[in-house]
Amino acid sequence: MTTTDPLRARQADQFGRRVAMRLDAATRELPYEVNERLRAARVRALQVRKQHEVAPVMVDRGGAATLGLGQRSWFNRLASVLPLVLLAAGLVLIHIAQSDRRATELAEVDAALLTDDLPPAAYADPGFVQFLKSGGGD
Amino acid sequence: MATERELSDFLLSVEKRAFKRTVYHVREEESALDIVQDSMMKLAEHYGDKPPNELPMLFQRILSNCTLDWFRRQKTRNALFSNLSDFESASDDGDFDLLETYTSPENSQQVESAEDATRRAQVLREIETEIMELPARQREAFLMRYWEDMDVAETAAAMGCSEGSVKTHCSRAVAALSKALRAKGIQL
Repeated sequence: MTTTDPLRARQADQFGRRVAMRLDAATRELPYEVNERLRAARVRALQVRKQHEVAPVMVDRGGAATLGLGQRSWFNRLASVLPLVLLAAGLVLIHIAQSDRRATELAEVDAALLTDDLPPAAYADPGFVQFLKSGGGD
Repeated sequence: MATERELSDFLLSVEKRAFKRTVYHVREEESALDIVQDSMMKLAEHYGDKPPNELPMLFQRILSNCTLDWFRRQKTRNALFSNLSDFESASDDGDFDLLETYTSPENSQQVESAEDATRRAQVLREIETEIMELPARQREAFLMRYWEDMDVAETAAAMGCSEGSVKTHCSRAVAALSKALRAKGIQL
């Protein structure tokens, strides 16, 4: 039997459906205990579904009460990420402020050296250092 | 999203066929009931929020997977896919007291009805026996295609194979069944 022959395929379908009709009779006459077990299984399955349904509703209510909006997931994500972002931004700002301050201090020292009467190259001169040690600078 | 009522109605509409189909596969009523219950729980727990029109396909897949899991567990336990005890239990448990059920109606045509009912029950048992004798994939394809009234594409999706394979399985199953039933003098 091949499925390429339409007539035979149709006959096969008809035969299959006749068998299925006979099998339907078997489902109508199941023993009482089997029917009861199936009914109990169905009830248990529906109970599982109920528990599955109840949980999100409670969370939704909590989310709505706290945030006043229904988009719980986005606000929860934002609320959890925002402190981390603020902390990172604060650290960056502190780092920038400290760098600026250090640069300013160095600039002040450099400016003082450059604007002094004594040229900076004098500090590299061994004779001048000796002069300072001997107290000649006082 | 399926309401509780829709899910309940769906399970009610498929549970008996699912049980019988599973019995044909595993040949044990207790195991079949466990498999069907497990399938119902999984459907409700994981897919209870799906639209009603998606439930049949999901349930067929879950039922097939649960049946396969049962065979895997049996294989591990017994180190054999099927053995003689499976066939013995099938013949013992396969009698669903249909004769008693059919002969019980009280009406004026009791004698004729009893004869017809006995004949019907015998034919049904022969059909069930021959279906259980089919190779697993042929049986699965045949029952999904004709008993669950799924089309070829749906059956292929549920079985995880090509549409060509489904057609081949079905045509072979039909050929084997019709030959076996004809040999027993049963004409459908």
